[in-house]
Amino acid sequence: MPFIVAFLFAYIVWLLLTAGSKGLLWSTEELIVGLVFAAIVGYATKDVIRENSTRFLNPVKWFGFIAYAPVLFWGMVKANFDVAYRVITGKIRPGIVRVPVDLENDAQYTVMSNSITLTPGTLTIDACPDEKALYVHWINVPKGLERPESSEPLAGPFEKWARRLGR
Amino acid sequence: MGLIVKTTARVTIPLIGIFGSYIVMHGHLTPGGGFQGGATIAGAGILFLIAFGLGEMKKRYNKNLYSALEGLGGLAFLGVAMLGMSVAFFYNTLWHNGPVLNGKPGTLLSAGFLPIMNLAVGLKVFTGLVSALTAIALWRRWKG
Repeated sequence: MPFIVAFLFAYIVWLLLTAGSKGLLWSTEELIVGLVFAAIVGYATKDVIRENSTRFLNPVKWFGFIAYAPVLFWGMVKANFDVAYRVITGKIRPGIVRVPVDLENDAQYTVMSNSITLTPGTLTIDACPDEKALYVHWINVPKGLERPESSEPLAGPFEKWARRLGR
Repeated sequence: MGLIVKTTARVTIPLIGIFGSYIVMHGHLTPGGGFQGGATIAGAGILFLIAFGLGEMKKRYNKNLYSALEGLGGLAFLGVAMLGMSVAFFYNTLWHNGPVLNGKPGTLLSAGFLPIMNLAVGLKVFTGLVSALTAIALWRRWKG
């Protein structure tokens, strides 16, 4: 039921946007009008959200995303300091590497690619599901890692998280 | 477009749609209104066209439906403007003595016919912009 997913997503966004219309909560008219518009948006986009998107209604997955937030944030902090160091010293060795990854579906590839791009120093250029690889521009390719065997040296624990979150 | 763009568009299109609806519906309370919200929702349509390509758009886009909805938006605007015709054109009779939309100023259902007009303009702008951009994308070929 992709309609339910799109509807709930739209309604949650509406509730976030209109919070505070009655004290800190929502007035009745906002809730009802929100239902109508979320139904319209959900019906219009039920083919865009795909059939298998119902798996994101699983609350276990939401806790996974909450647990992933500090991991991603810490990775970004570390990597930003690393890039600041490279800006000052100029020690770079740029290159595009092919990273073999073991992921199955679109959501996993998207989480993985966005995590890699958000941690500076690495930038995903292309995701190729048919050859199970990502092409990543790396600001500082260490010697001997021009053809990495796994995503571990670039992305740390992100592949494990992406596999878990997108499943 | 690639896989990442497509997957992100699947999430973003409902988000843009509901945010545009919010802008349209709160036109009399917050910045924005019919045109701004309609253009925002049209952005979702154009994102669909660009991310999934013209072939997919051709399957989903119905020329007659969009044309009819655009006309309906204009007609609704005119019809609401005619409601207070016994006093004057564009007389806001819903606000002065109407049955609905005359709540306390600052709440959602206030301001007389303005929310209806915002909805009509939003519908018209959305369908018009999406139709225009699809027609441009369907232009036959690039030849000097």
